[in-house]
Amino acid sequence: MAYAYLFKYIIIGDTGVGKSCLLLQFTDKRFQPVHDLTMGVEFGARMITIDGKQIKLQIWDTAGQESFRSITRSYYRGAAGALLVYDITRRDTFNHLTTWLEDARQHSNSNMVIMLIGNKSDLESRREVKKEEGEAFAREHGLIFMETSAKTASNVEEAFINTAKEIYEKIQEGVFDINNEANGIKIGPQHAATNASHGGNQGGQQAGGGCC
Amino acid sequence: MNFLRGVMGGQSAGPQHTEAETIQKLCDRVASSTLLDDRRNAVRALKSLSKKYRLEVGIQAMEHLIHVLQTDRSDSEIIAYALDTLYNIISNDEEEEVEENSTRQSEDLGSQFTEIFIKQPENVTLLLSLLEEFDFHVRWPGVRLLTSLLKQLGPPVQQIILVSPMGVSKLMDLLADSREIIRNDGVLLLQALTRSNGAIQKIVAFENAFERLLDIITEEGNSDGGIVVEDCLILLQNLLKNNNSNQNFFKEGSYIQRMKAWFEVGDENPGWSAQKVTNLHLMLQLVRVLVSPTNPPGATSSCQKAMFQCGLLQQLCTILMATGIPADILTETINTVSEVIRGCQVNQDYFASVNAPSNPPRPAIVVLLMSMVNERQPFVLRCAVLYCFQCFLYKNEKGQGEIVATLLPSTIDATGNSVSAGQLLCGGLFSTDSLSNWCAAVALAHALQGNATQKEQLLRVQLATSIGNPPVSLLQQCTNILSQGSKIQTRVGLLMLLCTWLSNCPIAVTHFLHNSANVPFLTGQIAENLGEEEQLVQGLCALLLGISIYFNDNSLENYTKEKLKQLIEKRIGKENYIEKLGFISKHELYSRASQKPQPNFPSPEYMIFDHEFTKLVKELEGVITKAIYKSSEEDKKEEEVKKTLEQHDNIVTHYKNMIREQDLQLEELKQQVSTLKCQNEQLQTAVTQQASQIQQHKDQYNLLKVQLGKDNHHQGSHSDGAQVNGIQPEEISRLREEIEELRSHQVLLQSQLAEKDTVIENLRSSQVSGMSEQALATCSPRDAEQVAELKQELSALKSQLCSQSLEITRLQTENSELQQRAETLAKSVPVEGESELVTAAKTTDVEGRLSALLQETKELKNEIKALSEERTAIQKQLDSSNSTIAILQTEKDKLYLEVTDSKKEQDDLLVLLADQDQKILSLKSKLKDLGHPVEEEDESGDQEDDDDELDDGDRDQDI
Ligand SMILES: Nc1nc2c(ncn2[C@@H]2O[C@H](COP(=O)(O)OP(=O)(O)O)[C@@H](O)[C@H]2O)c(=O)[nH]1
Ligand SMILES: [Mg+2]
Repeated sequence: MAYAYLFKYIIIGDTGVGKSCLLLQFTDKRFQPVHDLTMGVEFGARMITIDGKQIKLQIWDTAGQESFRSITRSYYRGAAGALLVYDITRRDTFNHLTTWLEDARQHSNSNMVIMLIGNKSDLESRREVKKEEGEAFAREHGLIFMETSAKTASNVEEAFINTAKEIYEKIQEGVFDINNEANGIKIGPQHAATNASHGGNQGGQQAGGGCC
Repeated sequence: MNFLRGVMGGQSAGPQHTEAETIQKLCDRVASSTLLDDRRNAVRALKSLSKKYRLEVGIQAMEHLIHVLQTDRSDSEIIAYALDTLYNIISNDEEEEVEENSTRQSEDLGSQFTEIFIKQPENVTLLLSLLEEFDFHVRWPGVRLLTSLLKQLGPPVQQIILVSPMGVSKLMDLLADSREIIRNDGVLLLQALTRSNGAIQKIVAFENAFERLLDIITEEGNSDGGIVVEDCLILLQNLLKNNNSNQNFFKEGSYIQRMKAWFEVGDENPGWSAQKVTNLHLMLQLVRVLVSPTNPPGATSSCQKAMFQCGLLQQLCTILMATGIPADILTETINTVSEVIRGCQVNQDYFASVNAPSNPPRPAIVVLLMSMVNERQPFVLRCAVLYCFQCFLYKNEKGQGEIVATLLPSTIDATGNSVSAGQLLCGGLFSTDSLSNWCAAVALAHALQGNATQKEQLLRVQLATSIGNPPVSLLQQCTNILSQGSKIQTRVGLLMLLCTWLSNCPIAVTHFLHNSANVPFLTGQIAENLGEEEQLVQGLCALLLGISIYFNDNSLENYTKEKLKQLIEKRIGKENYIEKLGFISKHELYSRASQKPQPNFPSPEYMIFDHEFTKLVKELEGVITKAIYKSSEEDKKEEEVKKTLEQHDNIVTHYKNMIREQDLQLEELKQQVSTLKCQNEQLQTAVTQQASQIQQHKDQYNLLKVQLGKDNHHQGSHSDGAQVNGIQPEEISRLREEIEELRSHQVLLQSQLAEKDTVIENLRSSQVSGMSEQALATCSPRDAEQVAELKQELSALKSQLCSQSLEITRLQTENSELQQRAETLAKSVPVEGESELVTAAKTTDVEGRLSALLQETKELKNEIKALSEERTAIQKQLDSSNSTIAILQTEKDKLYLEVTDSKKEQDDLLVLLADQDQKILSLKSKLKDLGHPVEEEDESGDQEDDDDELDDGDRDQDI
């Protein structure tokens, strides 16, 4: 299906904070209480609309364990956005944010948009990290911030979409070099597609488009 | 390095002493010379010796060469020599000079040197950093060396690259190199890098490998391209095979659409070069990787849909029906189409509609089946067609129906003009070619798979055998052929068909048993002591007999379950029977066939089992064994138990249904209550809103009223003249009056003045006459006094006059000023001067405004009235909905009560049931004691639920 832009995202953060569940909730609109431990990296995709434009999000969900860290690092350079996730019911995951952020800043391109996410907001009774603390951390490090629940889907759409909006604005401001695919941004094929293909084929086929 | 010394020492024909010395000297020069030129020459010399004296150079020079790579980076030439030398030592590629028998040893050498080189992981990292050098002389040998290392010892080298920062990403940059040699060797490097390493495959894909590779393939002319295309395709296969994440990424990246162009091979193609055949083969395999039956079902089905939507399937079908396609490409295309349509209704429907461009056009299915039952066609092609047919029918009830329909009397084309699929299958089934028999039987079995309707339909098929003889049923004909004892494949094929046909279809079982020859034939086959060759057929006969028992509805008196079992016991023996039944799954080819759906046999002799049939065996082997071991008494008891169980089940089901209904009702009511609550809330907010609106209107109204009052007041004064800027009309009129007064006063004074004047005149004239009459200066003091008096009076009058005229002037100016002001005012207000006409106009104007205001007020009043009416209505509505809610509440309460009652009732029943269950349990245990296994009956329902969920999941993923 035709899109105006394609953004690549990565999801990072300690293991067990709900990265895979967030992705599943975003791409499939469902929650899986028992989720396999992510081995290395898993891929997911979805189309969203911003400013009336179709934007394809390609998302790589990474494994949080230390043993996969070197693999995970390979994904920073080519990503336009990162969701850095911690678990509001586990303070240690919040304490590790600095390490994650350093890692991300070191290996990514400087324009990468980072969204800080405090996940599992549905578990209010077990909360260990106050919302204000997340906000403060984000403010201090120049990140966008949101609390989400992959279980109830609260703010999940918003987290992914707001990150895309930020990237989109950066493009409008000319901050991103959109012709360099290494930045994790690609312009849609629709310009090229109108000239190419459409050979001697039945018209209906291309229009169907539900192939995403 | 001890082991290498061993290798070296073991060589009988070692190099001459001098060579070893030369190498040593060269190494010393590399190590110790301070002159770059000198070192460079030494490395060059080592390079020239490295092919012939690989072992010696490798052992003595490797560490020096690595040192050069570390320290002499500024000189690309020496780096290039060092890399080339290392390549020669490590690689097994360029070995032509070495004799054949030493190849093995040299292979060991390569991996041993690789091991030494990577023992220090920094060496690999160093090599990676050299690859960032743009200089061709460094980059190219560097690429070749790293490729060699990866080929020698893939996993450890991959691991080192994986953990070195951005290692994989840097290697991806090679694909962007404008120098073709480097780009092409980069592809080979990536091939070795991605082999069997999912993590690296994903990173490479993340770094846009798909895009790059597809671009290269397009640039090189797709299948017409050279070996680069082949290399790119192999790399793509590495990235996609068994890598679900990458497959998903490939699909999501809309790259499937780009594959379509690969298969646009026009008829006017300039022949089929070997390279083109290879390329197309790889392209077809790549399509199959994406839709392989072993992929997760959701993944495969979404790729299948995408392939239809972008026209890829259509393109493949074009190749299928084109002429001049090399046989192996055609075969692989058929296999590919098979997997693109397998289990995907839309694609299957499309496939059914494809016609061959013959005259008249024939359905592709028919054309393909013709090849399947044609002995002269290549074996692999015939297998491919069978696979295609199976995939077309897989989970395709509609397709199954259509195929079976072509065999039914009513639909057979009487003119005989066109061959139908059914005719071809029958022809194949009864031809003299045993492979055709097998293929046709399996194909027909797939038309019946899991489809009870078609199993019954097929019973209607009658065959005309020879003129004059009555027609025979298809079922009968199958058993006839079977009993004639033909080739093993024929019999195996027919038996698999019959087993499939009869399973889950009691009517077919009855038909089968109706022919009195069949059971004796089967028991005969099973009972006989035959060689190993025949064991499989015996097993299949046992299975068919077992099916005839298990799915028997006891409608034939001579062949009831019971009688057949007795027959087994008498003629064969239970143990013997079970053993024979076990021959099937113990067959060496059985497990092979059970792995993959594709009928893929190395040669015709291996064509024995069909994949779907192995599933059937798995399903039935156990239950048939159980059924055989059961005694007749047990059977009867079981039957009874079943009946009582059924009764109880019925009761339970009844109550379950009732509860379900009530549950539904409750749910509905709950919903109603909640919607009403919601409505109520809405209404209440509406009421509050409107009340506040009304209040607002009231306030506005009051305000307006006050304003209106004021306005009226103002407008009253208006009628007397223009009034603006604080000058009050009353004032003007007052001034006017004053002026008037002053005027009259003035007139009075003037007339007085005139009187005085005349008096003065009189006096003057009398004075003059007095002077003349009475001498000149004889003025009496009385006169003088009078005069003085008069004079005084006069001057007083004069000054008075003066002041008065001043006063008048002042008033006059004041007046004119006022008039002017009035005039300007009149100009701004359309009122001129102070004539009556103007005043009248003003009055009308004001009156108009007044009436407008009055009108407005009236309207407002009306509005308020309407609003308050509305409010009352809403309140009424509110009241009524409140009462409805109350009613509903009571209704709900009642229902609750009812539900509680029925629950209680149900509880009672449950207690009753529990009792019954207890009884059943005891019955069961009794049964068990008697040696009968008792089944649980609740499982099938649960499974169905699970399936539903699974389907939903699939659907989600497809979207
Ligand atoms: N209550 C709750 N549990 C969650 C939420 N997100 C994830 N989980 C649970 O947290 C566990 C780890 O989730 P997972 O997505 O595998 O974490 P990952 O290692 O970061 O990918 C799982 O058991 C999830 O069910 C959430 O928003 N709320
Ligand atoms: Mg995970």
